[in-house]
Amino acid sequence: MVRFENVGMRYGAGPEVLRDVTFVLESGSFTFLTGLSGAGKTTLLKLISVAEPPSRGLITLFGHDLATAKRSTLPGLRRRIGVVFQDFRLLDHLSAFDNVALPLRIAGRKESEYARDVEELLVWVGLGDRMNAIPPTLSGGEQQRVAIARAVVAKPDLLVADEPTGNVDPEIGARLIRLFAELNRLGTTVLIATHDRALVESTRAREMRLVDGRLVELRMSRP
Amino acid sequence: MKNRRIMPNSKGAAPLDVVIAVMAFLAALALGASLIAQHAADSWSAGLSGKITVQILPASTGAARDGLAAETEAALAVLRGTPGIVRATPLTEAEQLKLVQPWLGAEALVAELPLPQLIDADIAPGSVLDMDALARHLKSAAPHAVLDDHSHWINRLRDLAQTLVWSAYGVLFLIAVATASIVAFATRAGLDAHNDMVSLLHQMGAQAGFIARVFEGHYFRAALTAAGAGAATAAAIFLAAGGLQSVGYEAVPFLPPLSVKPIELLWMLAVPAAASLIALVTARVSVLAALRQIH
Repeated sequence: MVRFENVGMRYGAGPEVLRDVTFVLESGSFTFLTGLSGAGKTTLLKLISVAEPPSRGLITLFGHDLATAKRSTLPGLRRRIGVVFQDFRLLDHLSAFDNVALPLRIAGRKESEYARDVEELLVWVGLGDRMNAIPPTLSGGEQQRVAIARAVVAKPDLLVADEPTGNVDPEIGARLIRLFAELNRLGTTVLIATHDRALVESTRAREMRLVDGRLVELRMSRP
Repeated sequence: MKNRRIMPNSKGAAPLDVVIAVMAFLAALALGASLIAQHAADSWSAGLSGKITVQILPASTGAARDGLAAETEAALAVLRGTPGIVRATPLTEAEQLKLVQPWLGAEALVAELPLPQLIDADIAPGSVLDMDALARHLKSAAPHAVLDDHSHWINRLRDLAQTLVWSAYGVLFLIAVATASIVAFATRAGLDAHNDMVSLLHQMGAQAGFIARVFEGHYFRAALTAAGAGAATAAAIFLAAGGLQSVGYEAVPFLPPLSVKPIELLWMLAVPAAASLIALVTARVSVLAALRQIH
């Protein structure tokens, strides 16, 4: 599903924020990416989600070598990935419904086909009564849930989430993790970046830890 | 219930709308000017072609009136005897005074002026006269007769009208180029202003064409509305000018009406159509060029 080989990343002429990162995410796996602030978690997620090209090394995604993949194939690869951004990145002028529906519109689906799915998902994340609200009127936790619903609505092959439970109370956080687990059970590969130790310890999932831009495999998934 | 447009309408659009409305107003004026110039050319050609005028100049001394009448009769005989001329009629004194009235007024003194006698003659459609031979015949029958077939004026007026028409087309072209440049600039500014939205759509796997459609749709609608307002204003001015002339107000007495027929105002619809098309294509090209710079 995802293969990194000796990947390095630096922004401009700055220092390398990722160094010789090598790992494989098997299809259908559930993995936590942990590390202190500034360890490079967000950068690694950007590389996986094809938001940035690496400075060096080889990234293989869904069988495509990103260094040699045609530019025209990249949008299709990106559509197979759901991303929960740390800063949510919702469109302020669109309702919660339309923000969640955005990946489906991009995929060319008609509203009549997806409206029910979007509404059910919003109900599931506890926003059934906030569908028509625009993000500026939503709390941080509500915005985060909209962002998560948007990332999962198209049932992506790969879900990457950057601190997805950072702004929600424990009960909602547990509910969202159950949503990720359910997606994972249905076949989606999940990678969650977090510094929430309790969250990591609450599951048997694999943990990869970043330390000063280098990847340390801490724990393989437990049976 | 739901907001369907991915791109918000508000961000910095008003100045662009105003500029496009003004451009469309100017374009519609230029278009109207070209129609008026074309009317003038047609009117002058239709009014003067197929006609000739003979002037019998008054003798400076002697029994002028008698000589004028005799020469008029002689010239009429020549004209009526010329194959291809279907009608030759001398203008009455009242008709002649009416002709000079715009320049000399209607004072009693004007009637005392030694005006030439004018003869209007119509040429049968399709007939070609030998004007030099006719002039010679007239000269021999009426020594003070001068033949005017209007070709000199028709050609000059037609050239003038065509110059005006092509000038109007040139202005339209320049306005189109300016509009495209403004929309390209606005699209770039819009891309910067909506950078977060563009990068999000890009990150979610939107094809360049999808993102371009978001922008081109926005600028298409903005241009259609603004240019519609500009063209409607120009159309209203032409309608008002037509209304003034219909109640007897003439802007310039010896020129054709400076108004456009109501049916021809439909041409004004071409202005918002062209402006919105220019905006659409320019926005699309600009966005696709900008997206090629993104990973």
